[in-house]
Amino acid sequence: MRVEGEVELVVVGGGAAGLAAALKAREEGIEEIWVLDRNERPGGILPQCIHTGFGLHYFGENLTGPEYIHRFIRRAREEGITIKLETMVLRLTKEREVVAVNPSEGLLKLKAGAVILAMGCRERPRGSLLIPGGRPAGIFTAGTAQRLLDLEGYLPGREVVILGSGDVGLIMARRFAMEGVEVKAVVELMPYPGGLGRNVVQCLEDFGIPLLLRRTVTHIHGRERVEAVTVAEVDGEGNPIPGTERKIPCDTLVLSVGLIPENELSEGAGIELDERTGGPFVDEFMRTSLEGFFACGNVVTVFDLVDHVTLTGERAGKSASQYLKGELPPPRRVREVRPGENVRLVVPQRVSGEGPVTFYLRVSRPLREARVEVGGKSFFRKAVRPPEMLTVELGKEEVGGLGGEIPVRVLGKPLG
Amino acid sequence: MKVEEFEERVKGDPSFSRVSLRISLEGEILFLEGETESWEQVVELGHLAAGVEGVRGIVNRLWPRGLPKPERKREGKGKAAWDGMRADVVVVGAGIVGAGIARELSRYELEVVLVEKEEDVAWGQSKGGASWIHGFAGLDVDPTSLKAKLCVEGNALYDEWAEELDFSFKRPGLLAVVMEEELVPLLEVAAERVREHGCPVRVIGREELHRMEPGLPPEAAGALFFPTYGVVAPYEVTIALVENAVANGVKLLLGTEVIGVRVEEGRVKGVITDRGEIFTSFLVNAAGLYSDEVAELAGAPEFTIHPRKGEMLLIDWKRAGACLHNLAPGELKEDPYTKGGGISLTVDGNMLWGPTAQEVPYKEDTETTKEGMERVWRKFSKYLPSIKRTDVITAFAGVRAATYTEDFHIAPSRKVKGLVNVGGIQSPGITAAPAIARMVVDILRKEGLELREKVSFNPRRRAAPRFRELGDREREQLISLDRRYGRVVCRCEHVTEGEVVEAIRRGATTLDGIKFRTRAGMGRCQGGFCTPHLLRILSRELGRPVEELTKKGGKSRVVMGRIKEPFLGG
Repeated sequence: MRVEGEVELVVVGGGAAGLAAALKAREEGIEEIWVLDRNERPGGILPQCIHTGFGLHYFGENLTGPEYIHRFIRRAREEGITIKLETMVLRLTKEREVVAVNPSEGLLKLKAGAVILAMGCRERPRGSLLIPGGRPAGIFTAGTAQRLLDLEGYLPGREVVILGSGDVGLIMARRFAMEGVEVKAVVELMPYPGGLGRNVVQCLEDFGIPLLLRRTVTHIHGRERVEAVTVAEVDGEGNPIPGTERKIPCDTLVLSVGLIPENELSEGAGIELDERTGGPFVDEFMRTSLEGFFACGNVVTVFDLVDHVTLTGERAGKSASQYLKGELPPPRRVREVRPGENVRLVVPQRVSGEGPVTFYLRVSRPLREARVEVGGKSFFRKAVRPPEMLTVELGKEEVGGLGGEIPVRVLGKPLG
Repeated sequence: MKVEEFEERVKGDPSFSRVSLRISLEGEILFLEGETESWEQVVELGHLAAGVEGVRGIVNRLWPRGLPKPERKREGKGKAAWDGMRADVVVVGAGIVGAGIARELSRYELEVVLVEKEEDVAWGQSKGGASWIHGFAGLDVDPTSLKAKLCVEGNALYDEWAEELDFSFKRPGLLAVVMEEELVPLLEVAAERVREHGCPVRVIGREELHRMEPGLPPEAAGALFFPTYGVVAPYEVTIALVENAVANGVKLLLGTEVIGVRVEEGRVKGVITDRGEIFTSFLVNAAGLYSDEVAELAGAPEFTIHPRKGEMLLIDWKRAGACLHNLAPGELKEDPYTKGGGISLTVDGNMLWGPTAQEVPYKEDTETTKEGMERVWRKFSKYLPSIKRTDVITAFAGVRAATYTEDFHIAPSRKVKGLVNVGGIQSPGITAAPAIARMVVDILRKEGLELREKVSFNPRRRAAPRFRELGDREREQLISLDRRYGRVVCRCEHVTEGEVVEAIRRGATTLDGIKFRTRAGMGRCQGGFCTPHLLRILSRELGRPVEELTKKGGKSRVVMGRIKEPFLGG
């Protein structure tokens, strides 16, 4: 490949993770940093998240999405970090060649000293659920509906059913209600809501929106525009129970059924991916399996809080800088992290043991009086629930004492 | 079997005891009227009647007791825009068959009008069809049938069509795989029958099979290999045909439904649409699922379409390497729910699994079902064990237009001069389309249409550039000509704004119109990211507000209104 330019550090994605990574790298003295972003504005998904709840950990303040990300955008501009917008990375190679395209410069072919992957995640569409029925207009993922509403100023529908009660679904329910849209119901497959208790109260109860637990959408009616959805109760395995169907007339179905890290580029470069997280295997330095490639934020695993996304971004930014300066400790004594009982996923999946480690993990089932065990160390939690990510931190000494493998498990008493 | 025998047989069968049935034979057309207990009985009796000697078509007006009849609203749109238009030939239906015929007719000095009720072309069977260009019509098909003959002829014509019309066409071949060792000896017997159709075929042993298709499980014991099987995107072919036909003078009338046929003294005089009447002496009825109804409107019913639904799963092109040939299950036991189907490669690298085959009463029933999707998954996943459920991007359903004789019905009407029916074009209709087009033009000539070759006819059409398929140098050139080719709007399929604008210039007016021309929204996120971009571009290019834009015409509006005025300040 003909390479036209060499750039010290290329960050793919200008959302919360990418911008934090770039800023940290600048702080570490890296001169030439290019952030490539496919959108027409930086910030990833945050500019359309106009509700509050961002930054409580990182800034100790309650900010909206645009407020939170604007702090990073402003600093990036002040620091002279190059942010190339409407720039879509088409491919990455093992040799850290980056091919991207944008309307003003055409094809860009770069050779990067280091690459930070910060592409974020995308939403699971209807097809991945295989909901039977028609294929009319009026089926949106929550993010698309939110963008239409908050960035474009259009009303996706007037009578809405939302499938999925994660925080995204709950916040969209409130957002719709505030625009005078009738939210007929929020439907949740599990016996408990997917989002934070606070959001259930503030987004549904305060607006009188019904939450239908242990139910799912079993049919979409309508040929041209959505006319109704059928909702049915589900058994313990999540299968609809015949005879419990109820038809709810509506013109819109909003799907908020999960996010998938977007790793097509990582895969193309030959980076090893973890089936549990959908993202690259990383160590505590956010180092991937491919030399010179680091990853951070939702492309690694989907986080609950943007604050954590930012922190992993900073970690990746620092590690990439150390790598560029030849200061990153090589992975000498790598220990594999083994997800055990009741652990759905855990990040990082590998530990080099050269510094402290923050583990992010999710459980498979809810427990109370829970004990999170990481390599023999125990951490107590009043309750653990699958939708909530747990974090535990181990100091350098604690990590140093761990053996060849680090088992992680979560024990406790069944909930309710 | 004579008519009387058929009648006796129905009367003597206790399962039909509650069926009221009146049979009449007019010429070679057999009419069934009355009421049944179920839709299955309607279909069964229709098929049984097809066995009556000398019968050319079945008009089956049976309907199950208590089942609501389909509503067919045929009302004028109030705008008689086409009133007084004159044509030498009106072709009804802009699917692959109608478009092929119109394009073939555009070779001659004729006024040809192509009428389509949907807002865009290829939105009936041609949109939902699988991608195969078959080598032959199938083992269960009589080699002397019209279907069998036109399938083999059509297959041979595809290279020319693809070359002239610049659509994607590949011939990866088909492997009909048997999973049981004891079936291997039967492959030679089957191959003999295939050869009767005039289709090349070869028996493949276990070792060669696994070399050719490494993704198959170890049980795969042998296969028939059909090297001439190809793949196309049927909607892409249709769009190419229409573009070429229009470039050669054919008038395309979209959003125009035929609501009547003017017949005077036994001959076609005009076609009445919901947008006015077009005067013509020749009417080609290529209305797909509705071809029986168009014939009826002319007062000349000759066959009835019974809708046969098929459901398919679409697999992410990330898994393109998992399968190298089209695959069909070679099974002894017939699956009553799917007569065929298989794993089809698409020209874009996806796989299509299916379809099922289910008789349904309503032509509009394109809803997917849990059972259908499960059936497809169970049936085909065993052939490619590396494919996971998460590789399925979407599922969809389409309806085939089957007649009770289960053969193509391509013939001039016996009753009304100037009407040529092209009905019952189900699988392998896409394959047969080029042969059908030639056959219909021949029929028209014999029916008295004067054909003078047009000197200016240009058989060529150029496809719009596809950013994803171009090399870096071509991409650079394109962007230097038009910067909008550097703005990627659909990130899954790498579709640029330039391509979207070109699609609109070529006739797309809806999100689906853009999708089927560019693939924007066809990828793994299914339009999640690109929908707002597409709406903005479509609104700008058409000069219509976003609130009025639709997914697929009619009432399929994408957004329901505005919430606030756009921020215009500095």
